[in-house]
Order: sequence, then structure tokens, then C-alpha cells
Amino acid sequence: MKPRNLAVGIMILLGIVIAMVPENTTKPFKLTAQQMLNAVNDGTEMVHPDLLADWLINKDPSIQLIDVRSSDEFEKFHLDQAINVPRADILSPDYREIWDQGVKFNVIYSNGSTTAHDAWMILRQLGYQNIGVLMGGLNYWTEVVMNPKSPAAILPDDEIAKYEFRKGASQALGGGSASAPATSAEIEVQKPKIVPRKAKKAPQGGC
Amino acid sequence: MGPLIPNEIIAGNWNFLIAFVIGIGFGFVLEQAGFSSSRKLAGMFYGYDTVVLKVFFTGAITAMLGLLFFSLFDWIDLSLVYVNPTFLWSAIIGGVIMGLGFITAGFCPGTSVCAAAIGKIDAMIFIVGIFLGIFIFGESFPLLQNLFVAGDMGSPKLNQVLGISGGVLALLVILAAAIMFWIGEWAERKFPREEY
Repeated sequence: MKPRNLAVGIMILLGIVIAMVPENTTKPFKLTAQQMLNAVNDGTEMVHPDLLADWLINKDPSIQLIDVRSSDEFEKFHLDQAINVPRADILSPDYREIWDQGVKFNVIYSNGSTTAHDAWMILRQLGYQNIGVLMGGLNYWTEVVMNPKSPAAILPDDEIAKYEFRKGASQALGGGSASAPATSAEIEVQKPKIVPRKAKKAPQGGC
Repeated sequence: MGPLIPNEIIAGNWNFLIAFVIGIGFGFVLEQAGFSSSRKLAGMFYGYDTVVLKVFFTGAITAMLGLLFFSLFDWIDLSLVYVNPTFLWSAIIGGVIMGLGFITAGFCPGTSVCAAAIGKIDAMIFIVGIFLGIFIFGESFPLLQNLFVAGDMGSPKLNQVLGISGGVLALLVILAAAIMFWIGEWAERKFPREEY
């Protein structure tokens, strides 16, 4: 047999093989269950309201706020500059460019943090890395940044400095009057989930 | 695993080096296939030499089978592989212009560079023509812009348009190629030309 006839035969054979095997829809999920569990345990996606307020006041251009609540809720109230991507639509090709980019850090928020976390989990599994979740959502944001409570006078200086910052941030970001229209169901679920500030205080006090 | 650069397995800086190596390989294959001879290329149109068809189709089939098998083995994520968008009218008109240039000059852009590299003067003049064409196109782009983007079809793949799986399309393309090769060689016997 001539070599080229052999080559043609091999090509046709390979063609038959590839036509008969099921098409490989390469797994869309980039992270294994274990990697995902590690990511959840680390909790590094959580963005504390203080940190976000700092970014917003400094007009950090690399921050992009994404509101994953429904468009109705978004219409009623949303943070300045936020983009509305309802949770149901996060996989829509229209929004792909929002996630699939390496320039901006997306901070997702909802009223509590459940909805935002749902979205984060799915997007993180798809391999998108530059995504954070606003800790405690709008509820906690309102509590901490928009209407900060003055600390007891006996607290250390850095607590008072933090309060001063929050008061300033509140004014700068139009706080005081802002109230997040939280749905009661989510608040109830979310309240216990709000990461206690103690965790943050502990190292600060120690140092 | 792949593609290597979008998956950040190797850094994007490697792009140029890889392109450089592939470019040299491509030029080498063109020269080895005899494509720096404009008579050989023109032979495709007159039927006395169909090696152009055979080389390019073999290249395409090899790459196609390679990608499909790599995808099957999970070595490459085809959804991350860039597919050139289709602008229908640009493609048709550009194809006609390219074909005209091909048959009148006896080179396509890649083979002209190969031929110029081995010292063919007509190829060098052809390259000057390429840059002239690029210049004219660039300067007249505002006039052509609407035509340029007309018929935007996104990045469809032929198997998606036909509604069949990639593997079945691959088999059809291979069979079509084998038939074309057979017809090509028949034409070579039918329209022989000596000494070219």
C-alpha cells in the first residue's frame, strides 16, 4: 500500500472514531469540591464594610460593585455606581464580560449575604477569581457605615478612630438617611451569619 | 489543561516566542511543499498541479482532528479557543480580491514572503503590493467601514450552523478532502504540463 493511501486511511479511521464518540463538553467547573471547600473555609472573599467604604471614598477605580438583588429592589435602593445583575441572570452571556476580566475587582452584595454568596459560589466554581462579597450585605453596611454607633468612651483609641472614619464615610457616602429595604426573611437568616466584629477586634486589641 | 496561556499555565509573554517558532515552521513547510514557486500555485487554478489543495487541506484536517481529540482527552477547553468572527460581506469580497491576487501574481501573502526569502524578485514586488494595498485600505477605511462590519454573524462554527456534532462534521470534511484529492489527481493527469 502506498504511504499516502495509508495516511488517507488513517485519517478516515480517526474521523470515524471522533464522529462516534460523544462530544466532550469539557467540564465547565474549574474548581473541585475540595478546592471550593477550602475557598469557603478561608473566607477571603469577604469584604468588610469598612474596607469597602475606604475604597469607595478613595474612588478606587478597580472596584466594581455588583448588586445581585432583583431589579425591583435595585430600583428602590442601591449603592452608588453599582451594576444590577440579578442572581438569576449571572450566567447570562450578556454579563459575561463583567466576570470574565482581569482588571476590576467585583464586589457582590445583596441585602444579607446569602444571595450574594450564592452568586459568588457559582462564579468562583466557574474559575472567576476577582470576586468578593460584601460582608453582611446591605444590612450590615447600613449598620456599620451608614449609621455607626459611637463606641463607649473607655474603648481604645483605634476603636474611636474607626468610629470617626465610619462617621466620615457615612457623610461622604450619603448615610444617615439611607436604609436598605431588606426583606425580613433574609435578615432573620442573615443576622446570625454576620461575621462578628470581635474577630476583627481581637488582633487589633492584642497588638 | 489547555489552552496554556488563557489558563495561565505559561505566561502571556511566551506568545511572541511561540508565534516566532510556529512562523518559522510554517515558512519551512511552505518552502518544502514548493509553494515559493508561483507556477505551482497557479497550477491549482489550471488543474495541472493540485499540491496547494492537498497541503492546506491536510494541514487543516490534522489540526481539526488534533483539537477534537485533545478536547476528548480533556487536554484543551475548546470554549477558550479564539474563533475568528465572521463578517459575511468582508469575507466574500476579501475572498474574491485575494483569489484575484493569487491567480494574477501567483502568490498568497505567506508564500510571497517565502519566495522573497529565496530571492524571487516578483515575490518582492508582490510584497510591495501587499503594503500598498494595506495603505489604501487603511486610508479609505472610513468609506469602507460599513461594508467591513456588514453581515456580522458572531463566531459561529460550521457544525453549529448545520446542527451536527463537531466529530461528524470532521468525518464529513475528511471524506470531502479525500474525494477532492482524488479529483485533483485526476485533473493532474487530465491537464498535464511539463517543465514548470
